[in-house]
Amino acid sequence: MRRLTRRQRVSAIVLAVLAACFITLDLGGGGLSQAHSGVRGTLGALYRGTDAVLGPVRRWLEGVPAAGSNEARISDLERQNAVLRGRIAALRTDRRVTEAVAALQRSADGTDAAVVPARVIAFGPGQGFDWTVTLDVGTNDGVHGGQTVTDGDGLVGRVLHSDADTCVVLLAADPGSGVGARDVRTGEIGVASGRGTDGLLFVPLDPHADIRVGDQLITGPTKASSYVAGLTVGTVRSVRTSADGSLEAGVTPAADPTSVDFVGVIIDGRAADAARAPLQPGPGTRK
Amino acid sequence: MNNTTPARAAAAAAGIGTALLLQATLVAPVFGTVPVSLPAVVVAAVALVDGPAVGIAFGFAAGLVADLGSDHPAGILALCWLAVGLVAGTFAERRNLRRDAAAVAVICTAAAVAATALLALVHGATIGSAIRGALPCLLGDLLLAFGIVPLVRRMLRSDRLRPPRPVGLPVAAGGHRG
Repeated sequence: MRRLTRRQRVSAIVLAVLAACFITLDLGGGGLSQAHSGVRGTLGALYRGTDAVLGPVRRWLEGVPAAGSNEARISDLERQNAVLRGRIAALRTDRRVTEAVAALQRSADGTDAAVVPARVIAFGPGQGFDWTVTLDVGTNDGVHGGQTVTDGDGLVGRVLHSDADTCVVLLAADPGSGVGARDVRTGEIGVASGRGTDGLLFVPLDPHADIRVGDQLITGPTKASSYVAGLTVGTVRSVRTSADGSLEAGVTPAADPTSVDFVGVIIDGRAADAARAPLQPGPGTRK
Repeated sequence: MNNTTPARAAAAAAGIGTALLLQATLVAPVFGTVPVSLPAVVVAAVALVDGPAVGIAFGFAAGLVADLGSDHPAGILALCWLAVGLVAGTFAERRNLRRDAAAVAVICTAAAVAATALLALVHGATIGSAIRGALPCLLGDLLLAFGIVPLVRRMLRSDRLRPPRPVGLPVAAGGHRG
């Protein structure tokens, strides 16, 4: 064990106090918003470049657990067939992307707005306690802060910040996130708050509301929420009454926050004259 | 503190940048919700070789960049990774690679739990998830540490990056350099 010199002790204390000052400053308001914006923009551009190189490796690694059961039995054959397995993984990825695009197109058909397809290129530096992802679209594609992000079937989150070519999305599962939601069966409205790996927690405005396991929640009501109305938030999996008599419902999110990959940002159709062509509502769909 | 040469400063900046990029594009997606942190492991590995002074500075700088690139309040990771550098630099044994890697994993996991708990307090949530994720985080950090610690040790002891005066030897006035 090394002993700290007096100078080292003073340095550690000064830096710790400095860090505490930064936390206080950032919690108190937008004192560091410019610094956040600058560093995020720089890192976003670097994430984009790095993902172009490491993306295939990452997707292969993410596919490894699914192939785990076979690996034990045919380990020798797997070594010989590494190249073929890589191709299979690529085909699976292509099929998943195709299905995701189809879902996004259906989503675009069901709304008045255009949907910009995007891919997750990075997770928040502190994934596990900071539920954000970075997408490969930005203001050049018509994406701006506050816009809703969907995976085609359900709500993923909303855009927090947007730079030229990238944007940061706050996932609905983030503990700091709150979504205005409506129970499809009863029409009861309330707030669904993020609970990380535990999904969402729905608290209806009426403490005596009739909420049951299996009820589906959608975003809404229209114009009273920062999210586009009508997207599936999730399904109620448990209902309990707390000690003060208020009702709480555990919700399984419609879009799994830990495996988001291909998503769509719902933008105003008029802002969609961008480099990446958005998916427009198809002919014959409702307006 | 005169261990800084242009080559060491450039290597430190490159190390921070590379670790943050790999964390966001490879490590975090692969480990999912488990808060395994490559930059924290790199900070601890550097502190093991160069001592607490370098560990404190390197940890604070890396943490601050990661904080500013995130959406949580700046200073949280800077504070936690500063502590990682301080503890790893002060208490490391530096003789046995396996023990050092295990120490790095334990220190980084403690820092991850602390960071998660701090974030939970900021968001008004409970710290249950921080404690639940500790064991998988420890295993992930251990995996990274066995790769990163020998790599960083070899790099920092190369001729170009070796400090002007050997780290850890008593100086004329007594005490130890860091």
